[in-house]
Amino acid sequence: MFPTRSSTESVSDRFDWLSVTLLLGGVLLCYYVVPLASLLFARSPHAIAGQLADPAVASAATTSLVTATASAAVATIFGLPLAYWLASADGRTETLVTAVVVLPLVLPPIVSGMVLLTLVGPETFLGEIAAANGVALTRSLVGVVLAQTFVASPFVVVTAKAAFEGVDSNLQYASRSLGKDRLTTLRRITLPLAWPGILAGITLAFARSIGEFGATVMLAYYPRTMPVQIWVSFSTRGLENAFPIAVILVGIAVAALVILTTLGRNPLAS
Amino acid sequence: MMVTITDLSVRRGDFSFGPLDLSISNEVFCVLGPSGSGKSTLLSILAGIVEPDRGEILIGGESVRGRPPETRSTGLVFQDGALFPHLTARENVEYAAEDPDYVRKLTRLLAVDEVLDRRPAMLSGGERQRVALARTLAAGPDVLLLDEPLSSLDEPIRRRLRDDLHRLFATLDVPVVYVTHDQRTATALADRLGILRDGRLEQVDTPTSVLERPNSRFVAEFTGNENVFEVGLETGRCGRVARLGDALLRVTAEGDSIERLLAGVDGSTATVCAHPSRITVLERSDGSVDAVRSVDSEESGRDLRMSADESSFRIPVTIERWLHEGDTYRVFVQVDGGPELTATMSRRTFDRLELARGDERTVSIQTESMHVLDPPTSSRT
Repeated sequence: MFPTRSSTESVSDRFDWLSVTLLLGGVLLCYYVVPLASLLFARSPHAIAGQLADPAVASAATTSLVTATASAAVATIFGLPLAYWLASADGRTETLVTAVVVLPLVLPPIVSGMVLLTLVGPETFLGEIAAANGVALTRSLVGVVLAQTFVASPFVVVTAKAAFEGVDSNLQYASRSLGKDRLTTLRRITLPLAWPGILAGITLAFARSIGEFGATVMLAYYPRTMPVQIWVSFSTRGLENAFPIAVILVGIAVAALVILTTLGRNPLAS
Repeated sequence: MMVTITDLSVRRGDFSFGPLDLSISNEVFCVLGPSGSGKSTLLSILAGIVEPDRGEILIGGESVRGRPPETRSTGLVFQDGALFPHLTARENVEYAAEDPDYVRKLTRLLAVDEVLDRRPAMLSGGERQRVALARTLAAGPDVLLLDEPLSSLDEPIRRRLRDDLHRLFATLDVPVVYVTHDQRTATALADRLGILRDGRLEQVDTPTSVLERPNSRFVAEFTGNENVFEVGLETGRCGRVARLGDALLRVTAEGDSIERLLAGVDGSTATVCAHPSRITVLERSDGSVDAVRSVDSEESGRDLRMSADESSFRIPVTIERWLHEGDTYRVFVQVDGGPELTATMSRRTFDRLELARGDERTVSIQTESMHVLDPPTSSRT
């Protein structure tokens, strides 16, 4: 005689959990897509083109693209070595350093801006030295990059760390037992295999930089980035005037995601 | 080239490896041991992946202690091959050596020249290991280290690759350290065998010696020698006799008698092993089957049989069951009044014997095939 299942088990087996998960996930997905679609389709292309002709908007778009690219580059140059070290280190030091890296992600951006002002503001030691050498650390492109890098670089470090950790350590040992040093192994084995994850981090950092507002507005109100321009348009001329710039910003962010995701195809895919 | 390991030890958490002393010349040295015995740790230490807490490693007389893996010239073949997944098989081999002629020669030798343009994901398990081996050999290592390269393969592929490895190793002029938990692979490939247990080498010897003369119960059982049993020593009306179940063997001082086996045994029991291949199930018609019946024993009420010939134990048994293991049969027999024993035999022998479950038969163990394991206990009664 086989054991019979209880009525509770039968009911739970009949209950289609997959449909529930799809339903819940679908609601969230709609919550992402519908406002974006509403933003895109509620504005006429004519209005958007008109806004683009506005020199202030064009300038803000250029500033955002240039500074976000620079910030992503700086985050990558400084973030990858840190991510590699964190991926190969272990113990309490690694945990502590990772917590420090994640800190800018959990700080309110406006607070990040305030924190940065205490370091690179006009009255600070660094600010004065830079100014004496003709470099303004606030109210400048450098200031925008400093603000964006602070809030966006953790995306590179955290994502690249996970990507490095995902590379089988035996592959690295195999390379080294074949006579290749640590740097060659990193260049020819670890980096290519971790590349999709690293590129995802760079993409996120770029996207975060493009949309950065809180820290940027504290450190460099001028030159205006697109988020700052949206805020100015909204506060001076109302929501309707801010919408077309927001559409442009969404367009840039989506394009950046598409381009970088395409570039970062999995190296294992044939 | 000689690898000399002296007083090597490492401790990681609860696991302790060593101390270990070992010298390996240009030979195939197989390290056989169960999971967690420290086999891979030994290779990792030799390859420079794990730094020992203590001890010295000399390769060709030169210390490699503290040197990074890339400067040791120790080629390591991983259990899963560890092929670089973003490179083709050819690129994997060329990663180690860029000379196309050498790469061609190696890949042909290992029969992977047809699959060189495939990525590792498109290779079979056997092909992956062959490419991994070609890649390692392409680097021209002074020492070849192999970490259970056959363990994930299906039996037919494993057997074929094992044959190829045997052929390949004969052509190499470097020390080969091959770790495995598979006794068949180890005995097939090894010039010498080291049995590792809890990070220590329990026995180092030729495969034949380890199989037939294990120095502990662990070694005996781990190398497939399940016939570990107690032999009692009694003195009665027939003089001094060895007893296994209801079988007796007279202890004499002549030739290959059990006297030589039990030399120095002055107690009442000894732990003995006999490899299954050395236990012979006799045919019913064998005239030597019948031993002398009903001899005296201190234990009354049992029908004991004295072996007629002092050089072999003739033991009455009952056939319990058997396993057909491809080309051999493993037959389990119950010794009357004693332990279960295992005998291995060819299919031809098995067919000739016409065994049936419950059959009462006699098995013969040559005393020269028996080996005393643990030091016998004295005055155990």
